[in-house]
Amino acid sequence: MTQQRRAPRIVLAKVGLDGHDRGVKVVARGLRDAGCHVIYAGLWQQPEAVVQTVGDEDADWLGISILSGAHMTLLPRIMDLLKRAGLDHVRVLVGGIIPDEDIPKLEVLGVARVFGPGTSIPEIAEFVGATGDATDE
Amino acid sequence: MSDKGDIRELLRRYRHGERPALNRLVSFVSRGDGIDLIRDELQDGSHESPLIAITGNSGVGKSTLLGRLIEHVRSLDETIAILACDPESALTGGALLGDRVRMSSHAGDEGVWIRSLASASGQQAVVDHLDLIAQLLTQFGFDHVILETVGAGQGDVAVESIADLVVLLIQPEIGDELQWEKAGVLEVADVVVVHKGDLPGAERTEAQARDLLNLPGCEQTPVVRVSSKTGEGIAELWSLLVNRPQRDLTTGRNTRRLLRLVQQRIATWFAFHPDEVESIVQGCSSSGMTNEQTITRILSHLTNDHS
Repeated sequence: MTQQRRAPRIVLAKVGLDGHDRGVKVVARGLRDAGCHVIYAGLWQQPEAVVQTVGDEDADWLGISILSGAHMTLLPRIMDLLKRAGLDHVRVLVGGIIPDEDIPKLEVLGVARVFGPGTSIPEIAEFVGATGDATDE
Repeated sequence: MSDKGDIRELLRRYRHGERPALNRLVSFVSRGDGIDLIRDELQDGSHESPLIAITGNSGVGKSTLLGRLIEHVRSLDETIAILACDPESALTGGALLGDRVRMSSHAGDEGVWIRSLASASGQQAVVDHLDLIAQLLTQFGFDHVILETVGAGQGDVAVESIADLVVLLIQPEIGDELQWEKAGVLEVADVVVVHKGDLPGAERTEAQARDLLNLPGCEQTPVVRVSSKTGEGIAELWSLLVNRPQRDLTTGRNTRRLLRLVQQRIATWFAFHPDEVESIVQGCSSSGMTNEQTITRILSHLTNDHS
């Protein structure tokens, strides 16, 4: 009935006690400029709260930024909660400091992609299917 | 393309109280999809709680105040849904929706529902079909629905046609009394909140607001001083909001509301059919029509094919 011009909706959050939010804020702004609807959920979120946010916001993507080293504790929990909430269709991105040997483990959990240091914004924008012109800041 | 069958199935699950179905339906409506079907379905007579809109300049503390109101409503054991509008970039169509951060103390609480909505540029500070979204939320069982508009400020009066109750936030030291006279939103405010009430000058601003709004012979507009920092005035404001008589939608205001809805429908149609509009414009311009003739052509196209 109607044609949609639909911007990807992405929730960006930091979980646990990690307070380093420069990276996630740069990504938030970059993805906005690339034409995404970015919902920034902020610091110190609990996995339960993040999953409810993803549901209520009807997001297509969830981006989790972790620089604390707690990814192998927090991500299994988030992936499990997403499944239980019937949100399997939401694709999960992880950014931050993730050791190479953990990347395959996260992918086995269902994480779509891990973006480490040095990733450019256009790379992420392209991955989430944003159509705008991404600028690398 | 949305499938009518999909929407029917979602509506069925929504009727059974499934939150994911509610979430998906709100997305459909906010994209202008499946509107007629959903509107028809909701029409069978269930109650509607008033839609409260919070408006005011950016930085005046709308999200922060909402965070406080959420706490208060939850302490009364009632549920609340928030529609937080932020502007969408006219250049890229992107948006950064950050209002949740200031309301996050209740993240993970099922009695609180928050949706961030990007309002397309060129529209006023609200998103299309908000009335229908609000109806979805109240019929789902949320006790209160509050709309936060983009920080637009002066002259942003579109909220009036959608909300049952408009709360305008101002802060101390907003400018001299002439500024007040200019602000079109003052006219549509049902309640005026002097926010950041703990700051110096708040009492004077409150007194000025009272002077200006409550002239003899005018309808009395309540003015409340609130501080989200100290919590002062939050309970008072809330009881004012829930006890305030709603606008009488059967009188003249209803005509304005309906006209506004018609305007919205037309704007939505344009937004979702750029190619069709473009081809009409192209056709008109190549046959040397004037702007006026082109506009007439577009309007007749709209009224012939669409409701």
